[in-house]
Amino acid sequence: MPANAILALKEVGHSFGGLAVLRSVTFDVPEGGIIGLIGPNGSGKTTLFNIVSGYIRPLAGAITYQGAPLVRESIQRRGTAGLVRTFQTPQVFEQMTVLENIMVGCTKLTRTTMLQDLLRTPAARGQMREIRQRAEAACERFQLGNLRDLPAASLTAGQRRILEIARAVVGEPRLLLLDEPSSGLNAQEIENLREWIVRLNEQGITVLLVSHDMGLMTVARTVHTLYFGEIIASGDMAAIQRDPRVREVYLGV
Amino acid sequence: MQSRLLWIAVALVIWAALPFFVPRNIADLLVFTGIYTIAGLGIGLLLGHCGIVNLAQATFYGLGAYASAYCTVMMGLPSIVGFVAGAAISMALAYVIGRPILRLTGYFLALGTLALSAIASALFFEWDWLTGGTLGIGGIPKLNLFGFVLDRPSRYYFFVWIVAFACMAAAHNLVDSRSGLMLRAMRDSSTAAAALSVDLQSLRTRVFVVCALFGSLAGSLFAHHASFVSTQSFGVDRSISFLLIPVIGGATSIPGIVVGALFVTFLPEFLSKLGDIHQILFGLALVAVVVLLPDGLMGAFGRLRTRLAARQGNHAR
Amino acid sequence: MTLSLVLQAIFAGVTNGIVYAFVGMGLSAIFKGSRVINAMQGEFAVIGAMTTVLLLTKSGWPYPAAIAGGVLAGALVGAFIEVAFVRYMAKKNASEDSFLLLTIGLALTLSASILFFIGRDGHLLPPIGGEGVLLVLDAVIQFHALWLIAIGIGATLLLRAFCHRTTVGLSMMAASIDADGAATTGINVGRMRTYTFILGGLLGALGGILVTPLISVDYTLGLNLTLKGFAAAVLGGLTNPLGAAVGGITLGLVESLAIIGISSSYKDVVAFSVLIIIMILMPNGILGRAGRRGG
Repeated sequence: MPANAILALKEVGHSFGGLAVLRSVTFDVPEGGIIGLIGPNGSGKTTLFNIVSGYIRPLAGAITYQGAPLVRESIQRRGTAGLVRTFQTPQVFEQMTVLENIMVGCTKLTRTTMLQDLLRTPAARGQMREIRQRAEAACERFQLGNLRDLPAASLTAGQRRILEIARAVVGEPRLLLLDEPSSGLNAQEIENLREWIVRLNEQGITVLLVSHDMGLMTVARTVHTLYFGEIIASGDMAAIQRDPRVREVYLGV
Repeated sequence: MQSRLLWIAVALVIWAALPFFVPRNIADLLVFTGIYTIAGLGIGLLLGHCGIVNLAQATFYGLGAYASAYCTVMMGLPSIVGFVAGAAISMALAYVIGRPILRLTGYFLALGTLALSAIASALFFEWDWLTGGTLGIGGIPKLNLFGFVLDRPSRYYFFVWIVAFACMAAAHNLVDSRSGLMLRAMRDSSTAAAALSVDLQSLRTRVFVVCALFGSLAGSLFAHHASFVSTQSFGVDRSISFLLIPVIGGATSIPGIVVGALFVTFLPEFLSKLGDIHQILFGLALVAVVVLLPDGLMGAFGRLRTRLAARQGNHAR
Repeated sequence: MTLSLVLQAIFAGVTNGIVYAFVGMGLSAIFKGSRVINAMQGEFAVIGAMTTVLLLTKSGWPYPAAIAGGVLAGALVGAFIEVAFVRYMAKKNASEDSFLLLTIGLALTLSASILFFIGRDGHLLPPIGGEGVLLVLDAVIQFHALWLIAIGIGATLLLRAFCHRTTVGLSMMAASIDADGAATTGINVGRMRTYTFILGGLLGALGGILVTPLISVDYTLGLNLTLKGFAAAVLGGLTNPLGAAVGGITLGLVESLAIIGISSSYKDVVAFSVLIIIMILMPNGILGRAGRRGG
């Protein structure tokens, strides 16, 4: 494992009801990189993603995050350690406004007790002010300023996606896991999204991107191709597209 | 903004004048409205912000009442000890029971809390060395505030409602706070909330503990008002009527809790003038609210207002 | 603790358990068919019992006819509730909680109606099979209890045959497993939901009628029976009406054996504690079948 890997998977395996969906998957995510994961439907991408984000516990193998074992950590602990995911269908808090959605993303940066919150102590008020300021800044940064007081339920798919990313980024993640971020978006929105990924990466956030959108995938420096739970090819997108096995099983050529 | 302040001022004047103009039985009911508001606030927080149906509030209400009764009558301690003891016991119990039981969801959680209430009510009955059983504990002293005895409903009214307002302020603070943000996030999408490091289990447990605190406080206030407590007041039916407070008024709205508490205290009283049929009518009223106004009276009121506002907006254009 | 005491407790447990089983089977059938937890299931039992009492004492019907009338009353009330309320709320996609509150409201209304129209007195029915008792190792067993066990087994077998052998039963099963799929094969899913409520009302009423010779039935009994029936259904895995039969008898045995020598009002404490523990530790019930969905 190279010294600068933020996330390292070693021989991760999983099966559902005896059916193996991941077989000995091993790869590293270098600090500051953008790593892509592609594969046809049913290749195990989502399972792998759920394993890394903590929604599924793998049956075999080891994962280290920042040098420490990850598999036994709860979803929440992963989040506070800077590992944050988005969802294939954007999961916004529909009855809350855009600003409030982003504020939720900031809650993990501070601590209050419920007693402080009930009594609205100066500490609780100060923290709430800080949360609000951060969220307002993020709202502007992600060009959601004119939507900030709308309920998230009224947003379009593209806006929801950006909101979801803004909400994740405001909590200062170190590793951002994006699950099919381009699904449901139009070409212009995908282009926006692409710019965002590049910009966030320049700000020091490592990105692990799962998608079967080949166009979007070109942002990734290294792409791993999953097929029936195994990595069959790795390299940059150009190399992947030339790889005969990938062309055969994935592109159907 | 100014008109809002005006409304609040008018409401305050009416509130302050009310006990001097209404007959004693109405003042008595208004005291109960205040007590029920406090108990209902906790259930409203759970229902409206965590999506948890709590059918166990009579348990904590009972604990508060018995703690006050036992401490003052049996042990001769000052009333404040009863309040504190009830709150401490209720919160500890809510924490211990809440951690496992709040792992349940939906119907299972609702019926789990109902079972809890049934257990508590059987234990209240059975442990007569502590609770006096069906005979109850009588002679609970009226509250004494720095030498001022709250012995008439009109006097107690002010005390109860000031406590109720404080509890409403606390509930409002909570909803507006960092915890409140996490609660609402959890209600909308628990999966996404978890991904943003919201600790769902601990949050739910803590709100349950707050709910128990409110329940116990209401119970202690009740004991000092009624000066007599017995098992009949803390049965499963009481838990159900506590749940109706946020359901009828609207769980996410704090004024809605007051409306719900008024409904639950006054409607049976008015219906009882119609004779024994009043319980049937009360049940039917509840069914009608659930079927026709799924988000409570305040929710229906809010919808009406937005509709009117939209119509006015159209006229303006 | 003597052997006869234990034997007595076992018999009491089985008889009570069969009643819980009936309420639980009805609850489970309704949940399976409509995803509604019917918090007024116990009221079906009270309705069935009270109707039978009235037909027998006030109208002078012969006992079997009065029982049939009581069962029919439960079924009719079940159908009415589905058609009048559940159907409307299902159309509006009401939440789980709303259905729970609806049935709680109906339970309050029905219990208040019984108080208003019939009064607060408890009522007993004559035992089926006469007043006689059987002595087994000094344990007293009423003939009625034996009849109850026989009827319980018979009804469970009939229910099983109904679900697996008849067209209506199979259609109901299909509609409950996959409503959309069933609709495409021409099954009227809405009507099937009505049938499940009829079935639930029928089973609840039968349970109530059978318990009335043993326990005096009054307007307050419904809620307690609902909770016990729910516990039985949860023990059996909730979506499995036949599991509820096993669950009911288990619950009856646990509570009657647990209270040997202590006050009988701890019976409810034991039963409800078992309910809570089972829900937390064994969410699929004691038979371990999958299919429970909480919400």
